[in-house]
Amino acid sequence: MGVGFIAGVLGGLLFAHAAYSTIQYRGMLKIMEEEFSGPPTNVVIELLLGFVLCMVAGLAVPGKFHSILPDSEENRVVSLPSNLDFMIFNHRGRLSPFDPELKLKT
Amino acid sequence: MVGATEEARLNQLESQVDNGGGGAWEYLCLVRKLKARRSEKVLRHGIFILNSHIARSKLGGEEWTLYEQVAVAAMDCHRNDIANDCIEALSKKFPGSIRVGRLKGMLLEAKGAWPDAEKIYAQLLVDNPLDQIILKRKVAIAKAQGNLAAAVEYLNNYLETFMADHDAWRELAELYISIQMYKQAAFCYEELILSQPTVPLYHLAYADVLYTMGGLENLQAAKKYYASTINLTGGKNTRALYGICLSSVAINQLTKGRNKDEKDSADLQPLAAEALLKDYKERAPEKLPLVTAMLRNIKLVS
Repeated sequence: MGVGFIAGVLGGLLFAHAAYSTIQYRGMLKIMEEEFSGPPTNVVIELLLGFVLCMVAGLAVPGKFHSILPDSEENRVVSLPSNLDFMIFNHRGRLSPFDPELKLKT
Repeated sequence: MVGATEEARLNQLESQVDNGGGGAWEYLCLVRKLKARRSEKVLRHGIFILNSHIARSKLGGEEWTLYEQVAVAAMDCHRNDIANDCIEALSKKFPGSIRVGRLKGMLLEAKGAWPDAEKIYAQLLVDNPLDQIILKRKVAIAKAQGNLAAAVEYLNNYLETFMADHDAWRELAELYISIQMYKQAAFCYEELILSQPTVPLYHLAYADVLYTMGGLENLQAAKKYYASTINLTGGKNTRALYGICLSSVAINQLTKGRNKDEKDSADLQPLAAEALLKDYKERAPEKLPLVTAMLRNIKLVS
């Protein structure tokens, strides 16, 4: 959690820095009166690095992944819910009465 | 659906609560969520919470859900006096509620006063003719009286309106099985498999029905559905492993003498037998000789 979060913050800072460098670079191009041919290498590297860091953060921070395999421990269905809507009460429990001292106090 | 992890959690919580470790409310919530029928425990621990003023006031609005849960559990344990007290508390709080009316009907059912219960349900249905739970209770009344034919009829009528209710399809399948109408039960399970294809227990039940009907084609289909159950449970379902063994033995007996090629699934039965033996070795070593002798008898292991 902590590591992922720090990676995300770093990635965001890198993106911000890349944006700042791009603006500066454009200003410099205007002064030198040159044509724009492509972004400078340091901006490209920063963008790639920021992308990777943000992706790591996005995968690590929100939590654990759930299994999608039908036979994994989380998903394996071991029993169906008892059909309580169709529950009927005439079973052998009638013959063994339940703890007679239990009472609801009102 | 009850997953393996959830079931383990429920059992762990149950033993914790039974030994006085606290967490009763959490346990009751889990029972409600998984729709488990553990009425004795629910009654014991639910009453404990309801009787303690501090614990009850902590629940806030959930208190009334607990009253309902305890009322049903009390009926299931044949403590109609407790159920009556709970229902009275509820009807004081919610006069004229349908849900409380339903509970009153269920209490009459628990007492065995079928005509009175039916009267209450009929009154409730006048206001709300499509109340699913009340329609289901009518099926349950017929079932409780032993009138399975009527229960099947009610349930069929119900399913004409609410076709997507898989619990009702399952109930219908079980009713058909108990009156030995296997073809109809198989149809219900087909419907269930179509609506929820990833639930292995439906595949298993369908295979059981097919195996019970017998005949070469049904047995072959049963074997396929046992195999799909194994696929969906990762081989952890013992019944499906037994099913593979027994249905392939039955198929072999039927096709004996005829030179039908059974090559496509020749590996399946020894594999299933092997998996079964391995499972027993791990989980119940003392029963291993019994299983080995049984499998040797039907010539699946040597």
